[in-house]
Formats: sequence, structure tokens, C-alpha cells
Amino acid sequence: MRRFWALLYKDILLLIRDLAGLAMMFLMPLALVVLMTYLQDSTFNSITEHKISLLLLDEDRDSLGISIGQSVEASHIFSVDTMLKEEPLTALSLEREVAKGHYQIGIFIPRNTTEKIRLGIRKSVLGTFGSDTDTVPIRMDSISIFVDPTTKNSFKATIISSIREYAARLQADFVLREVSVEVNRIVPVPIGKIEMPKELVGIKERYARLDEGRLMPNSVQHNVSAWSMFAVFFIVISLSGNIIKERDDGSFTRLMTMPCPYWLYLQAKMVAYLMVCLSQLFLMFLMGVYVLPLLGLPALEMGHSVAALVLMSFSASLAAIGYGIAIGKMATSNQQAAVFGSISVVIMAAVGGVWIPVFVMPEIMQTISRVSPLNWGVSGFYDIFVRDGDWHSVLPECAALLSFAVLCVTTAIVYDRRR
Amino acid sequence: MGHIIEIKDLHKTYKGNVNPSVDGLSLCVEEGDVFGLLGPNGAGKTTTIGILCGLRTPDRGDASICGYSVKEAMKKIKPLIGVVPQDFALYPMLTAVENLRIFGGIYNIPRKQLMPKIDSLLDTFGLSSSRNRAIEKYSGGMKRRVNLIAGLLHNPRILFLDEPTVGIDVQSRHVILENLKRINKEGTTMVYTSHLLEEAEHFCSSIALVDDGRIVCEGTPKALVAEAGTKSLEELFLLKTGKKLRD
Repeated sequence: MRRFWALLYKDILLLIRDLAGLAMMFLMPLALVVLMTYLQDSTFNSITEHKISLLLLDEDRDSLGISIGQSVEASHIFSVDTMLKEEPLTALSLEREVAKGHYQIGIFIPRNTTEKIRLGIRKSVLGTFGSDTDTVPIRMDSISIFVDPTTKNSFKATIISSIREYAARLQADFVLREVSVEVNRIVPVPIGKIEMPKELVGIKERYARLDEGRLMPNSVQHNVSAWSMFAVFFIVISLSGNIIKERDDGSFTRLMTMPCPYWLYLQAKMVAYLMVCLSQLFLMFLMGVYVLPLLGLPALEMGHSVAALVLMSFSASLAAIGYGIAIGKMATSNQQAAVFGSISVVIMAAVGGVWIPVFVMPEIMQTISRVSPLNWGVSGFYDIFVRDGDWHSVLPECAALLSFAVLCVTTAIVYDRRR
Repeated sequence: MGHIIEIKDLHKTYKGNVNPSVDGLSLCVEEGDVFGLLGPNGAGKTTTIGILCGLRTPDRGDASICGYSVKEAMKKIKPLIGVVPQDFALYPMLTAVENLRIFGGIYNIPRKQLMPKIDSLLDTFGLSSSRNRAIEKYSGGMKRRVNLIAGLLHNPRILFLDEPTVGIDVQSRHVILENLKRINKEGTTMVYTSHLLEEAEHFCSSIALVDDGRIVCEGTPKALVAEAGTKSLEELFLLKTGKKLRD
């Protein structure tokens, strides 16, 4: 164990003394995540939160009309207009505007809709209590919803169910009010006003909305995942440089003449750089949770599975370390390692969806992106941050990253032995 | 005293090379000797030391150190030997003490024993005042001294010295050689390679002159020079090989 601690002490000291390398490993990714998230936030919003244009004509101007107007405004799904610039808004012009494609949805709430519901319910309650002798039914007008054919079914369903919900709630309110009036008329001891309890069944909405079966990250979820992977893989420059320096200055040769097994040398290096990678990830996550919201960006939702996060962090780190060891052992000079290491990481990042998310890439690029370890990492972190996945859900990505790490280290050892 | 090192018919040819670097080399080193493996650059000295230290594997032949075969029992050999390579083989960004603590730890020396040993060796080699300075700020001679200390930390039975005084000032050379003589007297066997034959003549108790991976002649420096009737080892080498050492 003393040998391992000595080697680990050596690698930690070498890391600490290389201030430029440390700055590159920690400050650069932190700066990049802030900058890129800020730059890409509006683009992501346009992809993930494109609002549906809605034209609302409320001729009712009573409880139902007001409730529907407020609810569509509050949903943040719709961009709501209640008047037209060039002509007065009528049922006819509303239908025409939707037909022309100027609006995707039009809602027309006829005059006295609330009043007619109220009268209809009073008549129904009085009939039940035997006080109403008038049998002529009240003619109800329908709320009209005009839909552009290109509007997604999910939005259409959302708006119809919302209007039904508000109408049903209004009817229930009226029923209870009329019942309490009639009961008070009959019984000697008056009862109080019966009120509808507010939402007995609570529904908590979390994370991204469902868009035809695909979940899309926001700018913070994407950029923290993507630049964390980039940061972790950027250690290959420092790690490979460290290995080459040891080889060039002869200290590696000295170690090999000592009772220092090769595997122990690699193990200590891996542990030292694992600490670096985990610190990088920790700082990137902290940045997402606490710093980005200060810049007006959404806070990073970390998901609920610590096990998944730990598993992904270790797998991503080990993959990057394996790659760094392979480059360090195979490159003939420090310069070669730095150039090849940085260019290869940048290419893997570009292909893997670090700059441009994979889901907006052309189909062929989406297929190619599957060969990039950075894509496996980003995809794993999406599972945690966007889909709130548990450790089972990140197992495929972790398996791919760990296999990559084993392949790289094995290649490095075989190459080193042959040399 | 018995043979602490025995080399039998050692062969080594590097990939891509036609000529062997070590070509059937056989020799024995007595315990307590300062044995000089001398010859020009490319004679096969460093390759031979590399095989004895476990850095290279021979194509043919074998060598034993303290009775253990370098082919089969390198794990047992490594704690018994100290190596002072030709390169400085130190971490330039770390201080002398940090470097020595690392190497001492790898030799599995307990911390309580290691620190006094480091202090004593730094003092012996005149480096106490610069112990906490980064190696990259040391002069060439100071680096050579730390390089040597790193090979002595665990009191090895055999010390391999690959050109330990090359490229340094007279003062550092004197400090190194005087201390090496003292350490040898305390019982450490030394295998020393150099192309500086004059230095070797005074420092070594026995030598082997090598050229093209083969032994040219072997014995004590005085006996070899007297036997051949030459004035120095340089003349002897010229006589035996027909070429000057610097060729």
C-alpha cells in the first residue's frame, strides 16, 4: 500500500505544480458552460418551447370566458391574441384568421354562455326539488374551437380538455350554490354555502414536457451534460503530457527498475485523474444548479438518483482517463499528444453532440454520433437530468464508456510492452 | 567472496537493427567489487545494464543477480538493486525531498526511517541547503547528486551506475566519486559504466572493456595495463580493437 500512496502522492504533486494545466482543466470548461448556455438559451427555447398562436374571442365576459382566457395565458404554451389589427374580431373573422393560417387555434366563447349554464342548472335543480313547472329547455350555445390542420394533436387535446375542465368546474359550482339555496328554503335550520373543494387530487408536473414521445433538454440540461463530458475528456492533454514527460525525463524508466509493478503505476495515475474528473463534474453541476440561475437561465434539475449520477460520473471519467493513457503511451512526443489529443476530443465532441445537440442533427449524423464516447456520456446525463432516470437507465451508456476505457488501457499496455 | 552477478552468453538485438547490441556477453562480478563495464558509446553497456535491471529482456542467454535469474525472478531482484541512470530520471517540478520521498515510498521504506535517511544523504552529498528547491532549478552537478541519492535510499546490495559523472563540474564529480568509494567500502557492490577510462582506471577494482556487444578484455585495470605493456586503458583499448575510444 505504501508504494501506491507514494505513486499517488507523486501524481497529485505533479498535477498541483502544473498551474496552467489545472486552469485548462477547470476554468476553461466552467467558462464554456456559462458562455455556451447563455448563447444557446434562446435557440433551445425556440426548439423546445415554441408557442402556439391562439386567437380568443370572449363574448361571454363572465366566469367561464374569464377562466378560459386566464388559463390559456397561464399555460405558457400559447401566444394569445384577443383582437385583430385591421378589423374587429368576430366569430367569422376568427374562423377566417385560423383558416388563413395566421393562428393555429381559435376559440370563440358566445355571449351569455355562463348565464345560460347558470340558468340551465337552476332549472335542473328546481326540477329536482319539484319547484319548477316550466318544461321548456334552455337552448345552450356551444364554445367553438377552430384548429389549423397543421396543429399537433397534443395541443388540440390539451386545449379541449382544459375548456371542458373549466366548464365542468363552473357547472359544479352553480349546482352546489343552487342546491344550498333550495335546501335552505326547505329545512328549518339553514345550512351554510356548499363549496367545491379545490383539487382534492394534486398533480405535480416535473421536467420536460412530452412532445410526441421525445423529451428535449433545455439549454442548461444540454450544456451542462455536454460540456461536462468535454471537460472530462479534455484531461487527455494533461494526462498524456504527464505520461510522456515521465518517459522523456527517464523517471518512468527509474520506476520500472524499482519494485513498482506496471499496473500499480497506472492505477495511481488513474486514481489521481479520477479525482480531477470527479471534481470537474462536481463543479460543473454546482454551476448548473446555483450559478446559471443567477444569469437568468433555468436551474439544472439534478434528477433523483444519486446512484445513476455517481455511476455515470465514474464511467465517463474512466473512459476519458483510458483515452488519455492510450494517447500518452502511443504518442512519440508531447507535441504530438497535445495536437492529436485536442483535435480528436474536439472531433468526438462535435460528432457526439456537444456543440449542436444530436436531436437537431441530420439523420446520418445522428447515426454517426453513436460512435462517439462523448455522445454516450451526454446521452447518459440526459437520462438523469432530462428523464429523471435511475441507475438502471444509464447502464447501457456506462457499459459502453467502461468498455471504451478497458479497450484503451489494454491497447496502451500492449503497445507499451511491444515497444 | 562469491559471484554476486553472473552473466552467461547474453544476446540482444533491437528490432530493426542488423547488428546485435549485446553479442554473447559473459562475465562475473565478485561481491564487494567496483566493476567497470567500459567502452565507447554503442558498445552495449547500457543495454547490458538494462537487462540486469529488468528494463529489457535478452534474446538469448541469462544473467543471475544474488542467485536469482533476471528472466524468472526480477521481482526478487528489484529490491536488492539500486539504479542510477544516465538520464537524471527525476521529477523536475518537484523538490529534492519530494522526489526522494516518492522513490523511498516505492522502495517500501517506512516514513519514520525514510526521512532521517533522506536528511543524512542530502547532508552527505552537500544538498541540505537546497533540499526544498525544485529540481529544475538545480545545476547539472546537483541533479546528478540527487540522481545518485535516489538509488541509495534503500541500501541496495548492488548499485548500477550508468555514466554517473557525465557532463558535470569537477567539484560534483569529486563529491560523487569519494562518496561512492565510501559506500563501496561499507559493502555495496557497484557496476559502473563509462566511456571515461581515466576515471574508471582509478575508481574500479576490476573492469571489462566491451566493443560491439562483446568483451574485449577483462581483469583489474593495473594488471590489464601491465600485461599489455600500455600506459593507460585508452591505449589498451586502441591496441585491442584498433580504434580510438572516441570513434
